Amino acid sequence: MSKNWWKVLASVFVLYSVVAGLLFKVPTLPILHESIRNLYYHVPMWFAMVVIYSVAVYYSIRYLQTGDENHDLVAVEAVNTGLVFGLVGLASGMVWANYTWGAPWPNDPKLNSAAIATLLYFAYTVLRSSLDEEQKRAKIAAIYNIFAYPIMVVLLFVLPRLTDSLHPGNGGNPGFGAYDLDSNMRFVFYPAVLGWIGIAVWIVNIRYRIRKIENKRNQI
Amino acid sequence: MKLFAQIKHLLYKEILLEWRSKYAFNGILLYVVSTVFVCYLSFRSTPPLVWNALFWIILLFAAINAIAKSFMQESKGRLLYYYQIASPQAIIIAKIIYNALLMTLMSAVALVVYSIVFQNNVGDWLLYALAVLIGAISFSSVFTMISAIASKANNNGTLMAILSFPVIIPVIILIIKLSKNAMDGLDRSVSWDEIGVLTAINFIVVTVSLLLFPYLWRD
Amino acid sequence: MKKTALSFILMLSAVSLFAQENGVEMADKLRASGKIYVVVAVMLLLFTAFILYLFSIDKRLKKVEKGN
Repeated sequence: MSKNWWKVLASVFVLYSVVAGLLFKVPTLPILHESIRNLYYHVPMWFAMVVIYSVAVYYSIRYLQTGDENHDLVAVEAVNTGLVFGLVGLASGMVWANYTWGAPWPNDPKLNSAAIATLLYFAYTVLRSSLDEEQKRAKIAAIYNIFAYPIMVVLLFVLPRLTDSLHPGNGGNPGFGAYDLDSNMRFVFYPAVLGWIGIAVWIVNIRYRIRKIENKRNQI
Repeated sequence: MKLFAQIKHLLYKEILLEWRSKYAFNGILLYVVSTVFVCYLSFRSTPPLVWNALFWIILLFAAINAIAKSFMQESKGRLLYYYQIASPQAIIIAKIIYNALLMTLMSAVALVVYSIVFQNNVGDWLLYALAVLIGAISFSSVFTMISAIASKANNNGTLMAILSFPVIIPVIILIIKLSKNAMDGLDRSVSWDEIGVLTAINFIVVTVSLLLFPYLWRD
Repeated sequence: MKKTALSFILMLSAVSLFAQENGVEMADKLRASGKIYVVVAVMLLLFTAFILYLFSIDKRLKKVEKGN
């Protein structure tokens, strides 16, 4: 049980964010109204996605260093899970944008960047499926993954800051700090982010273990 | 020092090979000129925004076609030969430099043809030329590595496009913005941000290529 | 330990009771009827189920791993 403490912690954080996110006081802002509470649910998806893509890159680097097949398996499953979180983040963002910015796909650099970053990782999966030989596939996929990662960082964190954006913190818009001057939101937001990162890592962990068993079975 | 000598030799060899056949150069030149002409016939005159975007799209496809060949056209025997005489870093740097030269030449020609055929007002020609130069270099640094990856994966042309588009989009966005600034003749200090980020992207991409290419090369 | 936990909970409940008056219309009516707690209960139930399900998958996987 002691090995599972982080899973329990992540679960508690997520459950706490569900309750507190709905009940606690939020700043009263025009346009956003109550929908500001989406911050607790929509934004953690992106945090979780970026964290597990970073995990994928870490294991890709480890794979190139050691040639251990298991590292490649972690990288694949991290990318697969990251894609799920990215798609959920995009979808939830579209719903939110539809009611606050007036359109599901306002021409916003952060949206476009997120969509392109998702395409980047779809390209990774296509690259993998185009190769048959296992070691070669692992190696080339790892190389592409490492090559793509800095580009994704530029897409998600640099480009939106250069252009006008509807998202807070970009292109002259006030940062996240302006929305929680009373800092009450931090009490919910940070646990929510940590909790979802924990859940994402947990899912990666489960998928990796399944993959490992499948892999073993295929080899026999 | 040995690395520089190797790079110089490889670069010389690439240019010599190209000079003898002039295949890539003539092919791409014809491609660019005919695309420009097709665009001219279908558009006649364009608003500045379209003019700019169209130019970069033409260059983008020319670059993909030109650079995709850089690893695929090498025969297996020749690759084995390189493997013995040169370090992987020298090979990738030589390829990047060669592609950058080729692309610079190509885009210069394309720019001249394009601006003669399509009349348009560019406010700051110097900055526009700089944008084209940076664009050519960025395309070649990004596509060289992607073409190396794609060549290892079954020499597939479609794969090259799939892998390179998401990677090149941030570069394209920045370049289109930079060249639009040049067209509008905005003050040059406005464009420093874009130039800075583009330089940073190029720097990162070349560094990552240098680190990763040895792994790709070893087979 | 218990004291800090207790004070933390008290602080959070105090935070939630703050009144807000600056003219921006919030869903105060929903809150006034108290039905929001039903929604919270349902969502809590759903997420608890989701997490318990994850735990059960984890447990089953552990069994399979041991079997191999």
